[in-house]
Parts: sequence; structure tokens; C-alpha cells
Amino acid sequence: MSQTRKEMLVDPLVDNNPITLQVLGICSALAVTSSLQVAFVMSIAVTLVTAFSSMFISMLRNHIPSSIRIIVQMVIIASLVILVDQVLKAYAFEISKTLSVFVGLIITNCIVMGRAEAFAMKNPPVASFIDGIGNGLGYGLILMMVGVIRELFGSGSLFGVTVFETVNNGGWYVPNGLLLLPPSAFFIIGLIIWAFRTWKPDQVEEREYKIQVVGDH
Amino acid sequence: MGLRNFFDRIEPNFTKGGRWEKYFPIYEMVESFLYTPKTVTTGAPHARSYVDMKRIMTYVVIATIPAILVGLYNIGFQVNTAFETLGPSGWRATILDALGIGFNAANPVLNMLHGLLYFLPIYITTLVVGGIWEVIFATIRRHEVNEGFLVTSMLYTLIMPPDVPLWQVGLGISFGVVIGKEVFGGTGKNFLNPALVGRAFLYFAYPADMSGDTIWTPVDGFSGATNLAVAASRGYQEIVVGGTTWMDSFIGIEQGSIGETSVLACLIGLGFLLFTKIANWRLIVGCLGGMILFSSLLNLVGSDTNPMFAMPWYWHLVLGGYAFGLVFMVTEPVSASHTNMGRFIYGALIGFMVVMIRVVNPAFPEGMMLAILFGNVFAPLIDYFVVQSNIRRRARRNV
Amino acid sequence: MSDANANKGMIRRFLDLPTDSVAKTIFIATTLCLVASMIVSAAAVALRPIQEVNKLKDKQVNILQVAGLFDPSEDVVEAFGAFEPHVLEIATGQFTEEFDATTFDDRAAAGDPELSIALADDPASIGRQAKFVTVYLLRNADGSLDKVVLPIHGYGLWSTLYGFIAIEENGNDIFGLQFYQHGETPGLGAEVDNPRWKSLWSGKKLADDAGALQISVTKTAPAAGADHHIDALAGATLTTVGVHNLVRFWMGEAGYGPFLTNLKAGEF
Repeated sequence: MSQTRKEMLVDPLVDNNPITLQVLGICSALAVTSSLQVAFVMSIAVTLVTAFSSMFISMLRNHIPSSIRIIVQMVIIASLVILVDQVLKAYAFEISKTLSVFVGLIITNCIVMGRAEAFAMKNPPVASFIDGIGNGLGYGLILMMVGVIRELFGSGSLFGVTVFETVNNGGWYVPNGLLLLPPSAFFIIGLIIWAFRTWKPDQVEEREYKIQVVGDH
Repeated sequence: MGLRNFFDRIEPNFTKGGRWEKYFPIYEMVESFLYTPKTVTTGAPHARSYVDMKRIMTYVVIATIPAILVGLYNIGFQVNTAFETLGPSGWRATILDALGIGFNAANPVLNMLHGLLYFLPIYITTLVVGGIWEVIFATIRRHEVNEGFLVTSMLYTLIMPPDVPLWQVGLGISFGVVIGKEVFGGTGKNFLNPALVGRAFLYFAYPADMSGDTIWTPVDGFSGATNLAVAASRGYQEIVVGGTTWMDSFIGIEQGSIGETSVLACLIGLGFLLFTKIANWRLIVGCLGGMILFSSLLNLVGSDTNPMFAMPWYWHLVLGGYAFGLVFMVTEPVSASHTNMGRFIYGALIGFMVVMIRVVNPAFPEGMMLAILFGNVFAPLIDYFVVQSNIRRRARRNV
Repeated sequence: MSDANANKGMIRRFLDLPTDSVAKTIFIATTLCLVASMIVSAAAVALRPIQEVNKLKDKQVNILQVAGLFDPSEDVVEAFGAFEPHVLEIATGQFTEEFDATTFDDRAAAGDPELSIALADDPASIGRQAKFVTVYLLRNADGSLDKVVLPIHGYGLWSTLYGFIAIEENGNDIFGLQFYQHGETPGLGAEVDNPRWKSLWSGKKLADDAGALQISVTKTAPAAGADHHIDALAGATLTTVGVHNLVRFWMGEAGYGPFLTNLKAGEF
């Protein structure tokens, strides 16, 4: 393994972030980021599922027949997701109500499948576990950034605590309704990608074609 | 030509190696605003044409003049009329009172003066805020500030409700210029109409200030729905009952955004744009055709619960932002389709979508803005299929 | 465990098979499914009681809130003990002992053809209306009636809104109204959850002195006067219309009308 464990953990935060560079897991990033608390729980859930599913899949990797590879991965991931869903319903009912179907949809989150297929199938369990944690945290980092912007400017609060008193509650702040709608996360994620790529220009893809320059001023 | 000499004298400071090299875009903006741009294509092939970007953009701004004038008159008329019953209110009234101008709704000049007090703050805010973004991007990316912004800012102003808070105007144009245009590389590369992107941002972000009954005529205590909203809730026949004839709506004396109400003014602008060949007639025909066919179809289908099904096409034409969008937004060359066949399809798609949104969607009485943005997104795809089918057709010819 | 040890030789043999052989594929698939299903069902069974309690608690919290009795520091189940649940037959406005009020499922009843009727005149757009519904009575210390909490629901702009309305013992004064489930536009229709808007309901009267239903949720106060009027939600015309319709439907003759008449007569 050329990467150290620390690199495995830190790399997916910015340099190889699952959302901004690999553009995976966008669906849930749109759906659950209108409030920070929900985004936070979702980040933890995804991190746990990715880490443990990677670990289990890695443990079995030498025994998984290639013909049913994807199905085996799916079964493991799905079981873990159901487990998380059940636990949330039992111990964090309010949050599981807001997360609703999106906990179940972690199954379809490309980050989990992607890491299982790209990393866990070729690496030992501990490395896979750390890789899963790292990617989960990378996902969580973006979710929290989007969540801060959306909750602060969309509802005037952070983690449910009022920061700007909104007009409807007698304050001065006019909340930005667009930020409460899921599509706004598209713009925010786009801007974050823009910022990341300005900061780290090696993330920019090569152009598919060049526009020929015909003259200068 | 003292001014020309002045520009020639200071120009070296801004070109490569000059002291203020970084600020070339600002110099260029001011200079080319006053004179014909000096840049000419250096690579082959050359096509000679009197139409350059500056001329196109200036002509579009000229074409909006009738809409501006009627808009000014209409706001002033609506506000002055409301003052007669509700009494004057607001800082504009204080200014007009102090100048001894008064609020006589029967006097067109007074109406226009009053309207100007609504138009100017919005327009100036748009120019300043949007202009700052333009200059920032031009400076960083080392390209010129484009005359396109003058068009964007004028169109944007004309589709604002008169009473919109100025900070929202600033936010909207920022979003429009940055997200609608600059992130894609600036003028010519924007696949969405920046003015509409800004308007759509405000529409979803601050719906209470962008729709409803109290925003169209900014007088305390006044409540008047747009005629489109009247038609959506009670049927188009109620518009006439409410005191607006089809002709009023055609000329533009009704509730609505600043420059959108007058179909007549838009048509004058359209004539100018078609005469100067800036607007492509295929887009207009497509969009009219799509709207007329689909609304007539819905007339035939009918509905017991939704009165909008029964609204005939000539009402669709005069209500809301249809005419304004048709003339100034659908015809916008960058975000529209570029093939002739594609232009018909693009126009028809927008015409179809606007009726679809107005009639079928319960949440949005007006559909022109969303329909055009929808069309913008599909324009490249339409072009792709037109080009592909053309290639196939020609290939068959040479079997 | 002893079984597993006895079979160890066989499992080893399977594991040593070439990974892509048919036998091993079937073996892995079967084992994995067995293990996974056992884990999942074990979790589901073990956690179900806690989840059921949560669901019930959620509903109880809403009933407590609408009756103005919710106190986060108090135990929900205990506080909820103050309420007296009854299954009400909507058409007669009388309680029925046919069902157990603590377990009766209103929503299941609305979907059951035996227990519900299809509405011809359906302003709240609910499709089928249950014949029976669970209502909650709250009594004063001396046993006299204090308030009743009635479940209501109806269609807004995008979704069905589910909620409760609390009515004073005189059968005419509203104490409060609260929705606990809806999918309206955030910032606009979803402002039905805004505490300031909800507080507008307190003290409003359903019907005028002549007994005609006057309650309305509109932009401008109707002729009946401010006592019967709740301000519309700003910018949310269609959600407002939905709430207006559903409240008038449930408070009307097809809804709790008979029950309210009985209530006014002091029957409970």
C-alpha cells in the first residue's frame, strides 16, 4: 500500500473528496442539508455504513465469487443500512422522521458502493475501514458546509439555535426561501467545487477541446 | 476630437506593460462605450458585417424604450390612482409633494415622473451592483466588460415588480451575473439568460416580495392581484368584470412588473428588432405557434375545477410576461438554439411550457420565466439533434 | 455453537473451493443471506417496542401541545394520562364502545371500506372519510369537561396536512390548532408550523350567535368579524385555502358538527 493510514483518512477530505471531486452522493446531499442537525446525523450514518461495509466486504473479499460480487456487496450494505435505520427510529425518532427515506437511500449512495468496489475489494480490512471513515468524513464535511449556509441564511439559525431573528418571528432577517429548497444545494456544492479547484488547481480536469486563439489585443 | 486624443494619450498606461495594465477592462469599457471597438478578427476566415456585438446590444436597449415609457406611465398611473382613494404615502410622495408636482392620475407627464422614481432606484442599483461583478470578473480573467451587461441590466429592471426592496435587486442581479453568466465563462458562453436567472433566484428566495397582491402597486393598504392571478383563481372572464378590458391589457394599463404589462410596446420593440435582423423570426413564430396550439387544445379539453383551461390564446398573449419574454428573452441569441430548424422547436417548446405551467401547475400563476429558462437548458440538445439529423440526411444522399 | 463446530470440516471445504465455482457461489449467497437476515430481523424485533413507544409519544406530544399542556421536563406518558380517549362515531356525534380507544387506528380506518365512506362533496380533498375517529377529552379537577382535542386533516398545496384542533367545552371557542405532518413549501406553506401564526387561532369562535359556521382563514376579514377570522399565511395562497377548507369541513355537518352540537348540549 503506497498510502499511509493517515493519508487514507485525510485525503478524502479535500484532495479526493467524494462529493466535490468524485461527484458521488449528491442526491442525499441535496435532500438532508436544510438543517444542520439532520445533516450531522446523516454524515455519521453514512460514515458508519461506509466504514463497516468496507470492512466486512474486505474480510470476505477472497471468497466473494465475481459473478455475484455486486449483489453480495449490496446485501452487506443494505443490512447495515437497515440496522442504522432501526437504531435511529428507536433512539433518535425526531431526526429519523426528518431523514425519512433518505436513511434507507444510503443503500443507493454511490460513495458506499464506490468505496466497496474500488477499495475494499482489493485491500485488507483495517485499511478498508479507515478508507471508509475517511470518505464518510469527506462527505460529512461537504454536508456540514452546505448545511451551515442553508440553515443560517434559509432559517436564520444554526443547529436549531436562532442566530438571525426572522421577520415572521418579529425580527429583522428575511429568510432566503430558495435555500430551503433542495436545488439550492446544487448551487452551493457547485460554488464549493469552484473554491476547491481555485485553491487546488490540479483538481481541474483537462479540457476536452481547446478554443483556438486567433488574435491578441 | 479632444476626447479621442485623451483616450489615445492614456491608452498606453492600460495595455501590456503599462502602469495600470490590470485595469485595462475598465478603460476598454469606457472607451468602447463611446467609440466603435477597435478589435478586429485577425485569423481567417473573415466575414464583413456592420453588425458587431456593440451594435446588437445597443439596438436591444433601444428596442426596450417603448416598454420603458409605457411602464413608467403605468406605474405612475396605478400609484396616483390608488393615492386618490388611499391618500399619498412613501418617500416618493414626499419628494413629489415638496417639488409641488402632485399626483394627478389624469396627467401622463406627472404619471411618468412618478413612475421614474420607481424605475430609477432599481435600475441604478442593478447597474452598480451588476457592474461591480462585471468589472471584478473582467479584471481577474483579463477580458473586456461587455455591452451585453447593459441589455441584461435593462431587461432585469423591466421584469422587477415596482416595489421590490433594493437589497433584493442587488442580490438578484449578483446571482444572475455570477451564476447565470460568469461561472460559464462570461458573455457568449452563458446558456441561461442572466436577467431571468436573477429574477428566478428572487422568485424562489423571496416569494412574498415577488408575488402576491400587494407588490404591484406600492401604496400602503392597496391590494390588487395581477390579472393572471385573477384568471387563475376565478377565470379569465373575471378580468373584464374587474375593470380591465383586453385592450387595456394590450396597451399595458394593469398590475404587473415594471416593463412587462404593455404588449403594444413590446410589439413595437419586436418590429425594430426584426427590421434590424437582431431577432430571428423563427423563434417568434415557434413560440407563438406553441402557445396558440397548446392553449387551444386545453380550451377543447376543458376542466370543471381549473378555470385556466378555458383561457383563450389571445388572453395568454396579453397577460403576464408572455409578450415581453417573447420579444426580449426568447430572441436572445446566445441562449437560444442556433440552427434554423432548432429555432422553431425551441420557440414552440417555450410556448408549450408557458401554457403548461400557467394552466396546470397550481403554485405558479406565471410561467414565462420558468418556461424560457427551461427552453434555455434544452437549446443545445435541440441543436444537437437538428445537426445530427442533417448529417444523416446528407449522408443518405450520397449512398 | 456445537453444531457449527461439528460442521467445521464442511465449511472449510466450501471455503477452499475455487471462488468462482457454482457450489461456492451458492454457498456464499445462502450463508450471507441467512446471516444478514438474522441480524436485520433481530435488530427489528429487539427495537420494535422502543420504536412503538416513540411513535405513540410523538402523537401524544402533539396532542399535549395543541391543548397547551406540553412541558418538556415532564414525562409525556404521565402528562398524557390526563386525557380521556374515546372513539367517536362521526355521523351521530356519540362515543362508541365498539373499538378500544387506546389502540384504534384512525388512518387505517379511513382506508378500510368497512369503516369509511367515499365523499361526494369533498372540499378538504381527503377522498375517504372514516366513520369512526379517536378524540381526546380533557377534564378539570372536578370532573367537568375542560377541552376536547379532535384530529383533522386535508389537502394543502403539495400534501395532506394532518393535525389536531383543541376546542373549549362550550363547543365553539378554539383553544389551538396544530399540524404534525405535512409537506408544504418550506418558508411559505410550511409556516403553518410558525408559533406566531398558530397562536392566532387561540380564542377564535367557530360559529356566530345564530349557530352558522363562520370560521375562515383568508387574507381579509370577512363580514362576520375578526372573532371568526385567522389571517392567511403570507405568500402561501393555496396552503391557506387548503387549511380554510379542511377546518370548515371538519367543523361542519359532515365532520364534527353533530359532536359539537352534543357538546354544547353538555352531554359529555
